[in-house]
Amino acid sequence: MEKIKKQIKAVLNSYSEILFLENYVAGFVILLATFLNPNLGGAGIIAIISAYLFARFLGIGETFLKTGFYTYNSLLVGLSIGYLFKLTPLTAFFIVASSITTLIFSVMLHSIFSYYLKIPILSLPFVVISSTIYLAVSNYTNLFVNSLYPHINFSFLENYLPFWISGFFKSLGTILFLPDVFVGIVFSLVILLVSRILFMLSVVGYYTGTITAAFLTGSFATAFSDISHFNFILISMVLGGIFLIPSIKSYFIALTGVVISTIVLSAIKTFWSFYGIPAFTLPFNFISLTFIYVLGLLGFPYVAKVIRKTPEETLDFYLTNIKRYRGSYNTIHLPFSGRWTVWQGFNGKWTHKGNWRYAYDFVITDESRKTYRNDGKQLTDYYAYRKPVLSPVRGRVVKVISDLPDNPIGQVDRENNWGNLVIIYDQRGFYVEISHLSQNSIKVKEGDWVEVGTFLGLCGNSGYSPQPHIHIQVQPSADIGSYTLPFSFVSYISQNRFFSNDLPKEGEIVEPVFPDKSIEIKMTFVLDYTFEYEVIKGEKRENLSLTVKMAPDGTFYFDSGKGQLYFGKHEGTFYFYRIDGEDPYLKLFFLALPRMPLFYREGLRWEDFLPVKVVTGGIKKSLILFFSSFNHNLSHIQYTGKFEKNMKITGKITSKLLNINETVQVELDETVGIKSIKFKDTYIKLKKFIHSKEG
Amino acid sequence: MKKIYQKPVITKLQTGFMNKFGSSPLYARKVRTDIDGVPISELVEKFGSPLFVISEKQLREKYRQIYSAFTNRYPNVQFGWSYKTNYLKAVCAVLHQEGAIAEVVSEFEYEKARNMGIEGKDIIFNGPHKTINALKRAALEGAKIHIDHFDEITDLEHIADEIGKQIKVAIRINMDTGIHPQWDRFGFNLETGQALDAVKRIASGGKLVLNGLHCHIGTFILEPEAYGKEVEKMVKFAYEIEDNFGFKIEYLDIGGGFPSKNRLKGTYLPPDVAVPPVEEFAEKITDSLYSNLRPGDFPKLILETGRAIVDEAGYLITTVFASKRLPDGRKAYIADAGVNLLFTAFWYKFNIEIDREVQGSNEPSVIYGPLCMNIDIIDEGTMLPPLKRGTRLIFSPVGAYNNTQWMQFIEYRPNVVMVMEDQTVEIIREKEDLSDIERRERLPDRLKIK
Repeated sequence: MEKIKKQIKAVLNSYSEILFLENYVAGFVILLATFLNPNLGGAGIIAIISAYLFARFLGIGETFLKTGFYTYNSLLVGLSIGYLFKLTPLTAFFIVASSITTLIFSVMLHSIFSYYLKIPILSLPFVVISSTIYLAVSNYTNLFVNSLYPHINFSFLENYLPFWISGFFKSLGTILFLPDVFVGIVFSLVILLVSRILFMLSVVGYYTGTITAAFLTGSFATAFSDISHFNFILISMVLGGIFLIPSIKSYFIALTGVVISTIVLSAIKTFWSFYGIPAFTLPFNFISLTFIYVLGLLGFPYVAKVIRKTPEETLDFYLTNIKRYRGSYNTIHLPFSGRWTVWQGFNGKWTHKGNWRYAYDFVITDESRKTYRNDGKQLTDYYAYRKPVLSPVRGRVVKVISDLPDNPIGQVDRENNWGNLVIIYDQRGFYVEISHLSQNSIKVKEGDWVEVGTFLGLCGNSGYSPQPHIHIQVQPSADIGSYTLPFSFVSYISQNRFFSNDLPKEGEIVEPVFPDKSIEIKMTFVLDYTFEYEVIKGEKRENLSLTVKMAPDGTFYFDSGKGQLYFGKHEGTFYFYRIDGEDPYLKLFFLALPRMPLFYREGLRWEDFLPVKVVTGGIKKSLILFFSSFNHNLSHIQYTGKFEKNMKITGKITSKLLNINETVQVELDETVGIKSIKFKDTYIKLKKFIHSKEG
Repeated sequence: MKKIYQKPVITKLQTGFMNKFGSSPLYARKVRTDIDGVPISELVEKFGSPLFVISEKQLREKYRQIYSAFTNRYPNVQFGWSYKTNYLKAVCAVLHQEGAIAEVVSEFEYEKARNMGIEGKDIIFNGPHKTINALKRAALEGAKIHIDHFDEITDLEHIADEIGKQIKVAIRINMDTGIHPQWDRFGFNLETGQALDAVKRIASGGKLVLNGLHCHIGTFILEPEAYGKEVEKMVKFAYEIEDNFGFKIEYLDIGGGFPSKNRLKGTYLPPDVAVPPVEEFAEKITDSLYSNLRPGDFPKLILETGRAIVDEAGYLITTVFASKRLPDGRKAYIADAGVNLLFTAFWYKFNIEIDREVQGSNEPSVIYGPLCMNIDIIDEGTMLPPLKRGTRLIFSPVGAYNNTQWMQFIEYRPNVVMVMEDQTVEIIREKEDLSDIERRERLPDRLKIK
């Protein structure tokens, strides 16, 4: 039963996917709409089922099929045939054949596009196959004789609406070969319900394109009656809301795409009509793919890396994550102990340029920001001189140079720029080079395995070093002076704030922290651990049971029955990553402690950002996200955590827009987990902790 | 102006050689007109003489200098402020603000720390005499209790039974680190196996949880390598305990004993030469940690440095009350402060500064205190120019051990002020008057003088 349900959902998703929605209810409505023309509806069903079955036969992964990703092109091809021909056994056969061809072509195109161009296929397979079919059918006399049929339209609505309104709805309907005002209205309602952003884009896209076309052709009536203008709707939605993060810049790009597509559309129509085939979605594919490719190539900041179900969710995820997770994947620890000052960061003003722009220099400064005592003419005057250099990563030492002299102040060694150094290979696939160590101070040798914090040597003044300092860089090879890669530092304190993964600025005084075992054990949640909480809200008392489970991708989450709260630890920080489902109490956990340093120091603070959905829901959430797309700072919900005495935590949640200024109190349990959460009138407290359900 | 008559004296001429006075013996002057910008004259005018002056700025700077010498070498460092060195509230408060926890050695000091607002968990409880009451309170409040002897183990086990929970403890150990005298009266001896016996005893009792080691190798130690030895032995012992008894040694308290820039009597070289910089101690200690600790293991390193932090922040301003000529020809001055206030005068030769420029050549001089006691000598022989009555002499460093070991004997104890970082001056201990001394006295009625 469950399996059939899934398959039905997959089929329905193919329908909604055409309008860029991943929503099976919307899919069902669209499916119903196609049956206003039974031939069309039938053709669609045949196409989608045959494609789906063939895909299963080929063994295409279930998760992929579920999204309707591979099959919606087949569906479109099926619809394009159903639009031309009545359903007969012969047409059905023709549909099956075309549908399978489309599936195969989709898979191939997807593989090539995603590998070489890093772009999606959109409905390009449909354009290619349907155009091919339309060219081919001119030879299939048999089909023409039996299966051509007149179309019925609910054109009565057109009489009540001005042409510039009915034009929009008709174009919208045409996306599924239903050039009809009524269908268009249904579709636009579906879009509106699922995503306000897409709805806005569809409307603005259509009118921008059509008015442009009207100016170029000189006739508004012609422009608004041209149903192929659905291409504008698609371009606008796909660029403004799907592949780009909804933002003013993205919207601008979407409309630019729409405007120039008017020309492409006219050109294609002129050329294609010579062979008696419609333009289909070719202008849309051409413009959208070109833009996505170029924006990706140029590293446009608003290219969506993670596309969620709706533009709103993509935006919420993006906005929260871009603020929550700074830094990079090449994470290293600060290579020293105590408080050091950033002397030069990435793209530094002295030497961190060009190929070597991703590097950091550290010195020690005193209260008056000087790096030395006395007059600074002796190496020993410098605070950094002969201070221990510790390993920033876990890995193997691959290169050591240790015999170069420490330059006296005022001299540099131009021959051996990097001085005495240690290069360590981190198994995540990068090398870390630490330079300018003191002569003969290096205690590790090539081949040694080092842990984070292993003593490597002493800070010195060898190589191109005007004063004793530690230089650190991440590079792709073990070669000395190799070009550098971006990286970031984990687990450090600056101005009494804890940073999980970030890049300190020049002049910032930073101090590394090493995870505290006792607090790390508190936040270690093993599979099947169950926490039973009592929720007290005013007079109401409820039970809440959270069980640790693992998702197929290996991430762990707390399951409350109504929702899933994903968590994890990374390099000294505990995180709640995201929340699925609708459980108000799970949201409270997220809100109370979105992250926590695995290091305790009284008074230590840290910052995080909360997704809109954790704080509010329903219409309010949708509206906030809609308006946030115009101003990304709008939905700024900040969290500031602070360690109080005895490992208690106070969280402050503030948002200007939402007018939130709340405090949440969290207490950690003596052994494991969260003991209590107090937020407004809700109090959650741990009743019982069970190691495993069976035990 | 009429020239003051000076009796002619003959002084041996020493030139061009290194000498025990550091510089030209005849004309060298050390003049100090202010402390952190506050004129000596103003201080005396407002707060009287003698006067203890503690510089907040120098206290903080010294703390930070020593602290960063360690934290910039090892990531898990905690300082414990040794109360007995100077437990004036203002001094403790400054150091607690800087991040130090409290190190106390008696019930009195424990109460003092708690009264300062320091939580039990932030108190290190050392000392050979911990009363049952004090131990119980410390156990309940989660203090770091450092056991000194087997009897204390028994005491603590009784308390554990009484309060119904295991008590976290550390043991004090003593060892040979190559220096003399070897401090062997505190804790359990390592080399004879006594320390291991203590661990066995604790493990077999099952009521105490051993989570730290403490050692204090001595005082005013001028040999950094001794600490390297100490750390090496402690780390090895910690691993021996962890591997064999299942205890996790969370911290190593290596005690204190670091010297200040003071001059021990009988040392020929000036302290700038004789006393190794704190960097050298830090380097030896952390070197030894890195070469003996297992990778990725960073137990907390606790230091109880007292003297090295506070000594140089303290000054004593005194006034020349009278002068005389001794039969052997030496000049003698009577100052208004003596060993009653400067306990450390018994072993230090202080840096003596004059508050003004003085004409005339130096001659060997003795400085006596105000007590009617033969032992009241602050300096038995120093080179000073002829000083008028009323000249101020500034003794330093006097921040350590004087404000705790001074005595009310013959004279009242004077004001102690702190020159704050913004150059304002605050009294941190008011001068005594008769009522302070008589407050605790009871005179039986029949003895009252009618």
